[in-house]
Amino acid sequence: MEKVGVLAAVLVVGLSVPAGSQTYGQLAGCSDEPQQFHQCARAKAKEFNPPRTPDGRPDFRGYWTRAGVFGTDNVEEHGPALGDPGGKSLVVDPPDGRIPYQPWAAAAKAGYEHSHMDPAALCYLPGSPKQLYTAGVNQILQTAGAVIFLNDFTHAYRVIPTDGRPRPAPNVRLFMGSSRGRWEGNTLVVEVTNQNAKTWFDHVGNFFSDAVHVVERWTLVGPDAIHFEARIDDPKVYTRPWTMAFGLRRNPDANYEMWENACHEGNVLRWPATDLTRHLQLYFGATPPK
Amino acid sequence: MSRLALSLALLLCSVAPSPAFGQGAASVPPRTPDGHPDLQGIWQVLNTAAWDIQDHGASLGVPAGRGVVDGNEIPYLPAALQKKQQNFANRHELDPETKCFLPGIPRITYMPFPFQIVQSRNEVTILYEYLHTVRHIFLRGEHPPGPIEWWMGDSRGRWDGDTLVVDVRHFNAETWFDRAGNHHSEALHVVERYTRTGLDHMRYDVTIEDPKTFTRPWKMSMSLYRRQEPQIDLLEYECFAYKFEAEWKK
Repeated sequence: MEKVGVLAAVLVVGLSVPAGSQTYGQLAGCSDEPQQFHQCARAKAKEFNPPRTPDGRPDFRGYWTRAGVFGTDNVEEHGPALGDPGGKSLVVDPPDGRIPYQPWAAAAKAGYEHSHMDPAALCYLPGSPKQLYTAGVNQILQTAGAVIFLNDFTHAYRVIPTDGRPRPAPNVRLFMGSSRGRWEGNTLVVEVTNQNAKTWFDHVGNFFSDAVHVVERWTLVGPDAIHFEARIDDPKVYTRPWTMAFGLRRNPDANYEMWENACHEGNVLRWPATDLTRHLQLYFGATPPK
Repeated sequence: MSRLALSLALLLCSVAPSPAFGQGAASVPPRTPDGHPDLQGIWQVLNTAAWDIQDHGASLGVPAGRGVVDGNEIPYLPAALQKKQQNFANRHELDPETKCFLPGIPRITYMPFPFQIVQSRNEVTILYEYLHTVRHIFLRGEHPPGPIEWWMGDSRGRWDGDTLVVDVRHFNAETWFDRAGNHHSEALHVVERYTRTGLDHMRYDVTIEDPKTFTRPWKMSMSLYRRQEPQIDLLEYECFAYKFEAEWKK
């Protein structure tokens, strides 16, 4: 019962339905189920010749939304939950679809959901890779030296320089991390570091630490489909690196406009809290054993 | 070989700086492929308008500064002037910046944080470091019919010669213009003009109109400076998250 207040808040922000009346684009003929899409999209990527920007790079510009992900309750396979109809695991490696936690981390994860407020319910920014599977219509902009991903939810954005500029020092900790991109053929490879690790992957407390290193790979596999995968390495939390993958589907509505989504509008944490939330703590990040 | 290297170096010298020095006014502003002035880059002000948009002396934590208001006078209606004075007296409690709200327009422009302009065919997007605020300045379409009350309003842009003119409506009444309590109502109408005046400079002119608060429209103007450091990066200032942590620890 303690979760209800937090989940109700998440429900409000998690159910935003893509506006615009047009049907979303096709996923390059692939299933949207993450495991199947991952296999199918990798084959399609070998054949598809993407449209190009004026400087010759694959053209990701436009509006996009997650495919095969129907909520952010749990990145592993799960049944229906408040605000989430349930869905398959986004984890494609290991093949069992489970995050390979170290024993201490598995125990910590099991506790977070009952002891902490979901950071997303506080309007905390999603970080990487959660930014890509957050609800709503998202936008990709491209300039000569950068790719920019903008979320509808919480107006989060991430500028990904592709010009090789140096990263900030490791002590600079950011909700959205520090991203640096490079092109490998038609794939945008983005390495994300410097995350402050104060958010979760989902509402059930799947988490990472400030040692996390994410390598994202974005590939257009059809006119209206992006294959996204993220290899997540965090030696403090997992027994080995693991990979998440899913699709992004284009919103072809030429007149679509992103409007304000302020999220934080004076929300207040109250102590002592209501009966529903009084047991919940603020999440300051994981504390791995020494 | 050394002579060849020298002549190559001279050739490079004669070619590379031409946008800055060789062509003079003809190269300003640089242009995007579709022929509009190229305003892209990371920009920031160098003034004290964040504290007070009018002339002000120094006090603890507040640098003195010349204002950015044309003529230095803000034409408040009598009741609105009284409210401004009350706001100033209670600014440490009432300033919406202390509540971590989206700061509104034009205030976000002259806060001490950089912002990045990105141009696309149908919109000019401004990404602000402060609170990850985003503005989509649509270059087509009309303001949606109101009433709508947004923190950052609805921005519609058009090119007037080499100036980007942005018409902003649909504000709420919750934001201020500065830390000195200058305020407005939800009837606020802002017109911004962005004019690139050099490779590293832009002029920013703003007209403020709000018949519920002011007796007539009034103007601000200031310079925007391009951040030239090769490592410049938008970082973040997630005000409310820091506030939650500070309050929790109390």
